Amino acid sequence: MTAKRLAWVGGFVILAVLPFFLGSYHNDVYRKLLLWITLALGYNFLFGICGQVAFSHFAFYGIGAYSVVILLFQLNLPFPVAIVLGVVICVVLALAVAIPATRLEGFYLALVTLALAQLFIVVLNEGGDVTGGTGGIANYRLPPIFGWRIAGPSYTVVIVALLAATLAVLWRLDHSWFGRACRAVRDNPEAAAAMGVDVARTKVIVFTLTSALAGIAGMVYAFVDNTVNPPIFGLDNAFLILFMVIVGGAGRHAGAAIGAILLFLLPFWLSPLVGHHHQLVFGLLVVAAILLQPKGLIGLWDRFSR
Amino acid sequence: MRDLLELAVSATASGCIYGLIALAYLLMIRPTGIINFAVGEWAMVAAFGGHLLLYRYEWPYALGMAAVVAFMMLVGWGTERVAVRPLVEKGAPLLAPILALLGVLVVTREVISVSFPPDPLPVPFPFGIGRLEIGPVGGSYQSFFIIVVTLLVFAGMWFFFEKTLWGKSFEAVALNRRAAALMGINLSRVTALSFAGGAGAAGLAGLLVSPNISAHYLMGVPLAIQGFTALVVGGVGRVEGALLGGLLLAFAEQFIARYAPIPSGYTQGVPLLFLMIFLLVRPTGLLRARA
Repeated sequence: MTAKRLAWVGGFVILAVLPFFLGSYHNDVYRKLLLWITLALGYNFLFGICGQVAFSHFAFYGIGAYSVVILLFQLNLPFPVAIVLGVVICVVLALAVAIPATRLEGFYLALVTLALAQLFIVVLNEGGDVTGGTGGIANYRLPPIFGWRIAGPSYTVVIVALLAATLAVLWRLDHSWFGRACRAVRDNPEAAAAMGVDVARTKVIVFTLTSALAGIAGMVYAFVDNTVNPPIFGLDNAFLILFMVIVGGAGRHAGAAIGAILLFLLPFWLSPLVGHHHQLVFGLLVVAAILLQPKGLIGLWDRFSR
Repeated sequence: MRDLLELAVSATASGCIYGLIALAYLLMIRPTGIINFAVGEWAMVAAFGGHLLLYRYEWPYALGMAAVVAFMMLVGWGTERVAVRPLVEKGAPLLAPILALLGVLVVTREVISVSFPPDPLPVPFPFGIGRLEIGPVGGSYQSFFIIVVTLLVFAGMWFFFEKTLWGKSFEAVALNRRAAALMGINLSRVTALSFAGGAGAAGLAGLLVSPNISAHYLMGVPLAIQGFTALVVGGVGRVEGALLGGLLLAFAEQFIARYAPIPSGYTQGVPLLFLMIFLLVRPTGLLRARA
């Protein structure tokens, strides 16, 4: 057990040291890869483990990013206050959506959250000075934290820490009674209810928790590009995150991570071949995965490693 | 008053488009339970079909329209074959075909965006650009054309479901799949037909709306959301609900845009708010399913 834990710690230490050996371009790619993995892990808990399809995950990422930027630079709040308030905003919004929406069956949560995601973009575009309209907000910098200015590779270490913390939270939950309750809710809500699982409450907790995690990831993202604007948080990425989890293997942390890595890096390899049309390949991959390999790439791995 | 009637005509025309998209969803949801979000992309494909046949090759309108709708029905049938039937036969959960169709959505959009230039492409009006006035009611030719075609489609649908054996078998499958199969109804044929019909209805909507907004590869998702909102407002229980929901949504949208004191950009949010409120407050829609 301790050996296994040591291996995990070692793995994350390597991930955290790596950015110091990368140039600024590769640092940027690496940071975004880590953020996508973080998002995919959270979304996997919602979609893969608890069986809830939502398109708001990426919107919450945007809500987190925008709130921290607005709180810090438009309202000039101190850094710790802005972070806490940002999380509170995500949690309150998630609860406001989840409590009524999770009463609905099946795909309806997906549609409510799709509308929410679209509404978020409308609000961003029309928000005037508060959200910066279609141009968004740019030209800000991470304020010094306790006198420290974190920039360059050391900010990448912050993202590695975010990934590790997200994985730790989700892992612990997954391996507790709560994780089993979530899987029961996914596989058979009636049976879960009969076993004493409060189905609606489980759904609300999972939706709120994963949305808050996405929001926190968004706050970290806000200082990666030092700009937030509406196109970043559009619907394409909301679909992409779903596709990552499906292709990698829904319901498995490793699957979500593999899917995120593959679909994030694929455009870099594909662009000489298909230009900007890598989405076509993503769509085909998703259809193929659902038809031929519902367990995703991790399912393939299981079959061959056995 | 004139202004109001003018607005009412154009709102009715948009409502008819939403109603046709809602009908496309409904045709597929009723017998299968599958929400096919690709209907918006089907409307988009039909708009590009209109551009190709009617604008570039200058086919006569009626012939081009028939060809586009027939082609769309073929697309719907093929989609069901490739992305839905294998999953249903495997006994996969209902979510699997819904997600597979999301993949199809992206593939469809990208195929169009690879094949055509990125700018909006023109689609001709069947009767040119002009105004028709009947007493105090006035509107563009296209508005009246949309309204007439949509009413014909819904009348046809009503006839199909109420008067034909095929329509009855659709309803039987919608009410109870297993019982319908036991009564000798061919489930896979009904499913295939519902997808063909859904694609035909969505394609017609795309073709009718495209002269006003031009064919563009990103036009699908907004149509899909508006059509779905119309469906939720009207309720999935009855065919008339689709049209009613579409009209209500279009009137709300256009009258709020015209008279409500909110910035114009926010009016894009009206259908989204409508969708959220209806899903949360009254997910069964306004019309109840007939027992």
